[in-house]
Amino acid sequence: MKKSTLLSAVAAVSMLATSAAAHFQMNYTPESALDKGKTIELRQVFTHPFADEHTMDMSGVEEFYVINKKRKKDLKDTLETITFKGNHNSGKGYKSTYKARRMGDHLMVLKPKPYYESNEDIYIQQITKTVVNVAGLPTDWDRELGLKAEIVPLTKPYSIWTGGSFTGVVKSNGKPVPFAEIEVEYLNRDVDLRNNAMGPSKVKAPHDSFVTMGIKANKDGEFTFAIPKAGWWGFCALGAGSDKEYKGKELSQDAVIWVQAKDMK
Amino acid sequence: MKKTVLVLALATGSLFAHTALMSCFDNGDGTVTCEGGFSDGSSASGVKFRVEQNGKTVIEGKMSEYSDFTFEKPSGAYTAVFDAGEGHAVKITGSDITE
Repeated sequence: MKKSTLLSAVAAVSMLATSAAAHFQMNYTPESALDKGKTIELRQVFTHPFADEHTMDMSGVEEFYVINKKRKKDLKDTLETITFKGNHNSGKGYKSTYKARRMGDHLMVLKPKPYYESNEDIYIQQITKTVVNVAGLPTDWDRELGLKAEIVPLTKPYSIWTGGSFTGVVKSNGKPVPFAEIEVEYLNRDVDLRNNAMGPSKVKAPHDSFVTMGIKANKDGEFTFAIPKAGWWGFCALGAGSDKEYKGKELSQDAVIWVQAKDMK
Repeated sequence: MKKTVLVLALATGSLFAHTALMSCFDNGDGTVTCEGGFSDGSSASGVKFRVEQNGKTVIEGKMSEYSDFTFEKPSGAYTAVFDAGEGHAVKITGSDITE
């Protein structure tokens, strides 16, 4: 997976040929910890959050819903197709709004249709969790949904100090995935909601291994990552899902979760 | 007062180790809903709630089984008070309560 991602990066942008960036499904919203309920903006984009050298065309959405105080609400009809501008190309994505009015956690799950990665001749499907909290009441953030591929957080994804850490468990259909391979990337830019575009890079990686950081879960599928900088961090457990094939080709069914760190000031 | 504190403590476990929380929104139909809770996720069901105007209580009740309370929006300035016991009251000013 990583090797072929490198190949695709080489093919796509020769100038950035040394950047081995990972695909990350985003369900972006600017703020995950809200003081009170409000209508939030969301952008669903399939990209490489650190290097942003290629924005993929999303193939569609299978499921998009939110859970608040155990109540599930379908959000698929709220999605509107957009062209999202990365720093090197544009890709098909979505935008939506959601009224996060009730107190507590709003646990969103986005299950896109598998994306065909022609450079690797495989399909990729990243089941993505994003949690937004209203007024500090914890209700659903740690809920295990029994998804085919899922990262169950042991740390609240919206209340992490810079320098703190995030711990999660990689699961598939409720069972831990031992020694799961996890990619970690920093959303290295601001998202321009008005223009549906990515901003410039904030930090430079000292070495390729820092662009997409590869870590592994332990024997219980559990992993911890210390967060060095404020902002959004994405975690992707590669091929953790139980579906291994799509349209006669290999499927990498991944689990993604996004967490947001804040500076102490 | 002491009796109430005791009852609350029994009802919600180690209540006082946690922060009382409240969030309110305007339903847009002349009513307002306030939701209460505690920072450890425990329920606010049965906890006292009131609406004050000019320092006087105009509406009084308890949080429902869903830890919320819906009331008719008073005309003029008001304050919603989630009263989880001494030192644990959360107040929200009516002007901060929006749709």
